[in-house]
Amino acid sequence: MCHFCRAAALAFLAIPLLALAADAMPGMGKAMRPELGSSAAFAPDGNLLVVARQGEHVMLYRSTDDGQSWLAPVAVNAEPEAISADGENRPKIAIAADGGLLVSWTHPFPKSNTGSVRLARAGDGQTFSPPLTVHQDTAIITHRFESMLTMPDNRVILAWIDKRDLELAKANKTPYRGAAIYAALSTDGGRSFQPEYKLADHSCECCRVTSAIDRDGAPIFMWRHVYAPNERDHAMTRLKPDGKAENVQRATFDRWKVDGCPHHGPSLVVDEKGIRHAVWFNQKDGEGRVFYGRLEPGAEIKVDGQRPVGGPRAAHADIAAAGGKLAIAWKEFDGERTQLRAMVSTDGGSSFAEIALAASEGASDQPRLIRRKGQLFTFWRTEREGFRIFPMP
Amino acid sequence: MIRRILPLIFLLIAGPLAAADFTPLDRLAAQKLLSPESHRQATIVALWSSDCNYCKKNLKLLSSLAHRNQKLRVITIAAEPESPELWPMLKPYALAGPRYAYGTDNPEAIAYAIDAKWGGELPRTFLFDGRGGKQTVAGVISIDSVEKATGLRF
Repeated sequence: MCHFCRAAALAFLAIPLLALAADAMPGMGKAMRPELGSSAAFAPDGNLLVVARQGEHVMLYRSTDDGQSWLAPVAVNAEPEAISADGENRPKIAIAADGGLLVSWTHPFPKSNTGSVRLARAGDGQTFSPPLTVHQDTAIITHRFESMLTMPDNRVILAWIDKRDLELAKANKTPYRGAAIYAALSTDGGRSFQPEYKLADHSCECCRVTSAIDRDGAPIFMWRHVYAPNERDHAMTRLKPDGKAENVQRATFDRWKVDGCPHHGPSLVVDEKGIRHAVWFNQKDGEGRVFYGRLEPGAEIKVDGQRPVGGPRAAHADIAAAGGKLAIAWKEFDGERTQLRAMVSTDGGSSFAEIALAASEGASDQPRLIRRKGQLFTFWRTEREGFRIFPMP
Repeated sequence: MIRRILPLIFLLIAGPLAAADFTPLDRLAAQKLLSPESHRQATIVALWSSDCNYCKKNLKLLSSLAHRNQKLRVITIAAEPESPELWPMLKPYALAGPRYAYGTDNPEAIAYAIDAKWGGELPRTFLFDGRGGKQTVAGVISIDSVEKATGLRF
């Protein structure tokens, strides 16, 4: 090889290597801030599990002492691939009814705003099968922002934002609001998935989707919707036993009209008494706020007890219930630092006690509420402090 | 030989990257950029991101307006750190003004400095008339709104 060729080859090789090194080392390089989007869950043995992106791998981190120390991480995908890991669209982790450990993520394609929904399973909780794409559609379009729900009968349902209907409408030169929500059902604990199907038309395009199990055991998915002409309220649907959508109901009524991307999705939980509790972000009367409310079922959903969460800068709240308690965690910039705050209710959401959990000077992921039997914890990843969990009182 | 060629190789590699450079934005620079006192001519500061389809509509309109009336200055801020996909997305609009992307400062501090009332939704556009006036538009902008806020005609 000529000197020139060798030098040129070396120089070109150096680019991805530098990029990889900078990616692995936060703070190196002005453009190489790591995407912090992570998820956490407790394994059946009580260990704390976290999934996060490192380069082109989703890594599984395990702590046997509630986050005081971490074992060497395990790569979920043996073959490297691009992985989305921002707060709204992060890798997810769940445990199937048969004990299989499931990790899902969006694999973005080089074309912007496109990707596929991927899932890997570890029957033993450690060794992952090669990831599969949960949908059959192979078009280079949006299949992103998945939500993963595991059911007691070993069903696994993933629902995501999908733009195949939008693309079809574009090709036919017909108008189409937003995107669509599609879902894929597995009846074998995530080993295989049936062909995907549409849950709803006209979802918003880049907000996280949330899911829960309703009082009667029916799966529910909730997402930010685009109601005509441009109201960005939320919608939800219950799924029948065969996985098909029952009906799509409007779940919030704040009537935020904007031709824009809020990038701020909801969170939903159904408590032990079967009451649905949600948190979401909307602009109401000209002011953007995080709201809490109970979504009462019926021919039309009624929002009961709607109230703001935190102050005007509150953002990206999560909600969970366990042991007779309901907890909401969110982050809120105070002008200097990002505060992690939470509020806990022991009376089903009628009243809450607010608490300060932590603060960080740097970038941070959205907080996630997780549960271990009757105990709730807030998990928060920050650029400076790493993974942390806070037990809820 | 190689000593003579090496700078050329680095220029070949660094040239396109340097041309595509975004200025990293921190909270202090953001505060200054969004202050009406910083703008002595009609200026638009347009917030956008790679994930925001509506932002493309705004950038397209701003590109057309800036080419129709040279008095309009358009500054762009990508509300995310610089990445290889940013420049190819912005380049087609041929906007001559400064372009920023989030730097290493806390993104929430940058967002707060840009607009304490901003909840993160995009696009968000700040219109300065160059005489101390400033207006904020959430979502898609129109020629009418730009004309009213800047006092320019297109």
